[in-house]
Amino acid sequence: MTALLDVQDLTVRFAMPRPSFFAPRPYLEAVRQVSFRLEAGHALGIVGESGSGKTTTAMAAIRLVEAASGKVVFDGQDLLQLSDEDMRQRRRDVQLIFQDPYSSLNPRARVADIVREPMDLMEIGTADERHDRVEELFKLVGLRPDQLSLFPHQFSGGQRQRISIARALTTNPRLLVCDEPVSALDVAIQAQILNLLARLKTELNLSYLFISHDLGVVRHVCDDVAVMYLGKIVEMGSRDALFDNPQHPYTQALLAAAPSLARRKSRGYVRPLKISGDPPSPLNPPKGCAFADRCPRVQDVCRQVQPELETVSSHQAACHFPGPVNHA
Amino acid sequence: MALLEIENLNVTFNTRHGKVTALDSVSMHVNAGETLGVVGESGCGKSITALSVMGLIPMPPGRIAGGEIRLNGENLVTASDARMRQLRGAEVAMIFQEPMTSLNPVFTVGDQIAEAIMLHQNVSADRAFKDAVALLDRVGIPSPDSRARNYPHQLSGGMRQRVMIAMAVSCRPKVLIADEPTTALDVTVQAQIFDLLNEIQRDFGAAIIMITHDMGAISEMADRVAVMYAGRVIEEARADDVLDTPQHPYARGLISCIPALGKDDTELREIPGVVPPLHMLGAGCAFADRCDYAQERCRREKPALVNHGHHPAACHAVEEGRI
Repeated sequence: MTALLDVQDLTVRFAMPRPSFFAPRPYLEAVRQVSFRLEAGHALGIVGESGSGKTTTAMAAIRLVEAASGKVVFDGQDLLQLSDEDMRQRRRDVQLIFQDPYSSLNPRARVADIVREPMDLMEIGTADERHDRVEELFKLVGLRPDQLSLFPHQFSGGQRQRISIARALTTNPRLLVCDEPVSALDVAIQAQILNLLARLKTELNLSYLFISHDLGVVRHVCDDVAVMYLGKIVEMGSRDALFDNPQHPYTQALLAAAPSLARRKSRGYVRPLKISGDPPSPLNPPKGCAFADRCPRVQDVCRQVQPELETVSSHQAACHFPGPVNHA
Repeated sequence: MALLEIENLNVTFNTRHGKVTALDSVSMHVNAGETLGVVGESGCGKSITALSVMGLIPMPPGRIAGGEIRLNGENLVTASDARMRQLRGAEVAMIFQEPMTSLNPVFTVGDQIAEAIMLHQNVSADRAFKDAVALLDRVGIPSPDSRARNYPHQLSGGMRQRVMIAMAVSCRPKVLIADEPTTALDVTVQAQIFDLLNEIQRDFGAAIIMITHDMGAISEMADRVAVMYAGRVIEEARADDVLDTPQHPYARGLISCIPALGKDDTELREIPGVVPPLHMLGAGCAFADRCDYAQERCRREKPALVNHGHHPAACHAVEEGRI
């Protein structure tokens, strides 16, 4: 199967202020040589803590953040090489849903105009066709056409996220980047939006690049999962492989940390795998494995040599001592 | 007698929609050394319950219209402001949701903890600062000596929340209220904070009221649970009972709509609709419009929180055995 999106060695650097007038300019490497493939009709989840570079990776892949190096092959074409105008035309294939449904909708525009705007900008169809399309999308995401002339503040958080989804779908995109689309919502509403996203994926054969820190949500939505830590992918594989047979100690720690109904205080649940502390600063990344300082399996080699992604059992992990939880 | 008892608490707010009832006959209790989880969606009144106990309801527009909050038998609703200042921090303490905004940015964290200690204990500034350092060590902050001299912006989110916890437990309160203590934090840090709270409870024997919208957090932290909806407690029982055999349709929905790890549903059960705004609550059950089991009686008559066989739930359908 050919990949819809094939990202190779993507690196993103942010320039930092010079410490003094003559000092060289320091750079922060937010994303370090990240490679992944997303098949058409699939959902790839990117999980990690805040600061792990998951949003920057996705934004660089759709050229909303400038990449320092690497390739992003979308449908056979390297997006990073396109001219600005060609990229603008490609944008109809790639749309985005933001985390915060409160700040990502223009408070002064009526929602019909918000949803129609991408078509106006791309000059798709006649005015009547655009209007019909907006109505059709409204029904598709579970809103009523009589709500078209309302303003964003007249909707609840879940409804606003539906508006964002409708807006993202106007140009018939093939790839939807979802940046924490449900983390600002209550659990009951979260389920509504997740079900909607799952339904749209099958009905419209959409592909998702799905960014989340909630492993339960990712498990529910995604076919494949990549775990990021300090700008690198540390483990990647199919959903089942990754959740049932995690190899990297960081993935295992993430899974142990995620709250679950099966872990009961009444039954004396004690977390088997604890990690302490915070991730190291990306301004000054360690020479070896970035997870070494928090890792229960750390050895000397981990602090010296950076592990690369290698095939371990059914998927890929970047660890010198991969293995199931009780291995070490 | 329970350590903290809330009985028929009514809290109203004057808003531009008129007077709304934020808490409607809320009753709950927590015993020493026990964790009570209070769970519900935003706007259900769980934070208002916590603020009432702390005596921090802004009045006006808020008003405690009735009911009692008893700490060791002493009614906090009628306590004087001076008495509340004595109790707050010393007997009941609170950990707020946003560690970024609840710490003072222009004082070092050590000074802020020391201030809380000096307010309630008759100790010197030096002694209080040393205690603050010891507390930072206790809540797992590495090199507490130098960290105590840091300002909040120099700490990570997880460390700020640890500072909040250190401040809250500085006077060994009998009741510790944690209002969504981990919502702004990553899962790994959340796990650390949960473990720390459980440890502190074992050491100090404090009662914890844990306010959250996350049933997973309830499962890991709580001994008992009160589920709230639109200003009322709609179900209350031991955590295992609520998680394994939820009675009220809302509680059932809350549990089955979680995309849990190790659960392979193709579709999540969803609760349709949204929480009704408080000024639009009718005479009947506030959940009726979103409920699959709602009948005519549900829209007419508010169900009371009564044990219908298993554990207390406020639902006509449960009472009539229709679920």
